[in-house]
Amino acid sequence: MAPVIVDGGKGSVELDDGGYVHLRWLPKVDIQVEDARAAMATVNDVCQNQPHPMLVDMASVASVSREARAIWSIPCSASRIALLGRSPVDRVLANFFLGVHIPPCPTRFFTSRDDALAWLNSGQAGPTA
Amino acid sequence: MSPDGETADPRLQELVEGIVRLAAGDLEARLVASENGDEIDAVITGINLLAEELGHIHAELEERVAARTAMLRRTQVELELMAKTDALTGLANRHLLSERIRDAIAAASDAAKVPAVLVLDLDSFKAINDTLGHSAGDAVLVEVSRRLLSVVRAEDTVARLGGDEFAVLIDSATEEETLAIAQRARDALQESVKIGSETVWTTASIGVCIQRAGYSPEDLIRDADIAMYQAKSEGRNKVRRFHPDMLDAVLERSRITSELRSAAAGGELALLYQPVVELATGRIAGVEALVRWHHPVHGTIMPDLFIGIAEETGLILELGRWVLQEGIAQLGRWKAEAPELAGFGLHVNLSAAELLRNDLVDDVRETLSRHGVEPRRLVLEITETVLMSRGAGEEQILHRLRDLGVGLQIDDFGTGYSSISYLRSLPADTVKVDQSLIRNLESDPRQHKFVAAVLQLIAAAELNAIVEGIETEGQASRLQAMGCQYGQGYLYGRPVDAAQVLERLRGAVQPR
Repeated sequence: MAPVIVDGGKGSVELDDGGYVHLRWLPKVDIQVEDARAAMATVNDVCQNQPHPMLVDMASVASVSREARAIWSIPCSASRIALLGRSPVDRVLANFFLGVHIPPCPTRFFTSRDDALAWLNSGQAGPTA
Repeated sequence: MSPDGETADPRLQELVEGIVRLAAGDLEARLVASENGDEIDAVITGINLLAEELGHIHAELEERVAARTAMLRRTQVELELMAKTDALTGLANRHLLSERIRDAIAAASDAAKVPAVLVLDLDSFKAINDTLGHSAGDAVLVEVSRRLLSVVRAEDTVARLGGDEFAVLIDSATEEETLAIAQRARDALQESVKIGSETVWTTASIGVCIQRAGYSPEDLIRDADIAMYQAKSEGRNKVRRFHPDMLDAVLERSRITSELRSAAAGGELALLYQPVVELATGRIAGVEALVRWHHPVHGTIMPDLFIGIAEETGLILELGRWVLQEGIAQLGRWKAEAPELAGFGLHVNLSAAELLRNDLVDDVRETLSRHGVEPRRLVLEITETVLMSRGAGEEQILHRLRDLGVGLQIDDFGTGYSSISYLRSLPADTVKVDQSLIRNLESDPRQHKFVAAVLQLIAAAELNAIVEGIETEGQASRLQAMGCQYGQGYLYGRPVDAAQVLERLRGAVQPR
C-alpha cells in the first residue's frame, strides 16, 4: 500500500508486507501532541483496528513534547512497538518516553533495523534498550 | 582548556552554564543541541527533557496545593456553618442568632424600624416526647421550624435555642409589623401536626422584646424570654410583649423555687383537711388534704402560688411524695387515736408528673402498710385534663393503683374536655364536679337543669358525685334533691388542721 501521510505532514504510516505497521517520522521535526494524535489515528486506521507490531522510525527527530509522549501511553492498534533510532540523542529521547510513561504494549529501542524487525516478528518481550 | 592543551568542545561550557541556570531555579532554561547527534548532544537533549519534567512537576504541585487550599477553605466555611446551625432543623443556633442580632442593632438607622426578638417555647412538647418518643418529637420540631420560617420575612432569622425553644430575629420593623409577625407565628402553630398516624397539637408561648437604646443581643433575648414565661403563666398559646414589671414576677418565681426546694425538708409544709360530707346525713365521709406552706418570713403561702412553679420545675414530685406520706401517716394517727371514727377516707391530689413516677404504686403500698391503713381509705384525686391526656404508662399505673384497692377520683370535672364517653372508660370511682358549675345554681334555672344533667350522667356511668364549692344551704338542698350524694365547701367547713378534724368528727365543734 502507499504510505498515508499523517495530518500535519510530519510523518507517514504504511502497512508493510512483513506484517508490521511502519510509522516514519521526518528528520528534524518537532513532534507536538496534535502530531502524535494524528499519527495514532492514522495507525489505527491503517491497521483497521487489528493489532499489529509497529516499527517507528524516529532517527533525528528534533524533539517530542511531553504531551505528545503522553499520547503514546494510550492503547492503540500496536501490539508491540520497536523504536528505531541512530544517535545517542535518539536513545535519550526514546528512553524518556519509556521511562516516564507506561507503554500500553511491549516497547523497545533499537539502533539496528534488522534487530528491530526480528524482535517485532518474534513476539518475545526482551529487556528494554 | 583541557589538561593536554586541546580545545575543549564549546558545548561542554554551555552545558555547565545551562546546569547552573537550572540550579538557580530557572526551569525554563534550555540548551541547543548541534546537528551532530553525538553523545554531547544526547546529554544536552537529556538535560532539556529533565528540565521540562522538573518544570512540569513543579507546576503540577502548585496546582495541587492551590486545589487543596481551596478545598480546605471550603471545608472551613462548612465547619463554621455547622458550628452556627442546629443540626436537626438547619436553623441558626444561639451563636449565629446573637451575631445576627448584633449586626441588626448596628445597622439600624431608622428610628421607626428597629430589630426585635421573639422567643417561643412549645407548650406541650415534653408530653409529646414522653408519649410518642423522641423521633416523633424531632419530627415535630422540624415541622415547627418549617412553619416559623414560612411566617417570617427573608431578612429575618429563625433560630433554635435548644430543646423546644425557638427564637426569631425580626431584622428591622415597626412595632405593628413585629407584633403582626409574632401573631402569625402563633397562628401558624394552631393547626395540628401529623406525625405518621398520630396527630398532635403544639402551640407555643411567645415573648416579644423590641429593641431599645443600649440593649445588647443578650438583653433582647433575655427579656423576650421573660415575656415568654409571662405568656406561659397566663395560660400559654399567647403572645406577650416584654414589660419591666415582668422582671419582678421572674425574680419572685426564682425566689419561690429555691425556697420551695428546702421547704419540705425544713418542715415548712403542713397539711390542712377539708371535709367531704354525705349530703343526706351530714356525716363526714372523707377529708381532702390541702398543702400549705408556712414560710418563715412571708407567712402562709397558698398552693395556687407555688404548685404551678413546683409542676414546672419538677419539684412537684418531692412535694407530692411528702403530701402522700404525711397524709397517710396522719390517717394512721387518727385511726390509732380514735379507731371508732375510722370510717372516713383521705383524698389526696395527684399531679400529672406524679402519674409518671414508676415508684408511685410501690410508694403508696408501702406507706399504707407502714401506717396500718387500708388501701380503700385512700382516694387519689386526678384532674379531668390529666386523665384525658394519659398515655400508656399512666394507664398502667392507674390500673395498678385500682388493683391495690386505692380509690380514684376525677377532679375538676366540667372544666376540661368533657368528652362524654370517657366517663365510662376511666378507671375511677367518684367524680368531683368543679365549683364553677354551681355558681349560679340558685338564680339560673338553665344552670340548674345543666347540673342535674351532669349529675345524671355521672350516675349513669355508675360513679359517685361530689360537688365542691358549696357555700349556701340553697345550693346544698338543690343538689341533694338532684340526687347528688356528696359535697364539699365552706358550708361544711373550711380546711382545718388534723386536731380540729378529730374534734369535728367527735361532734365537739359545729361547722363554720
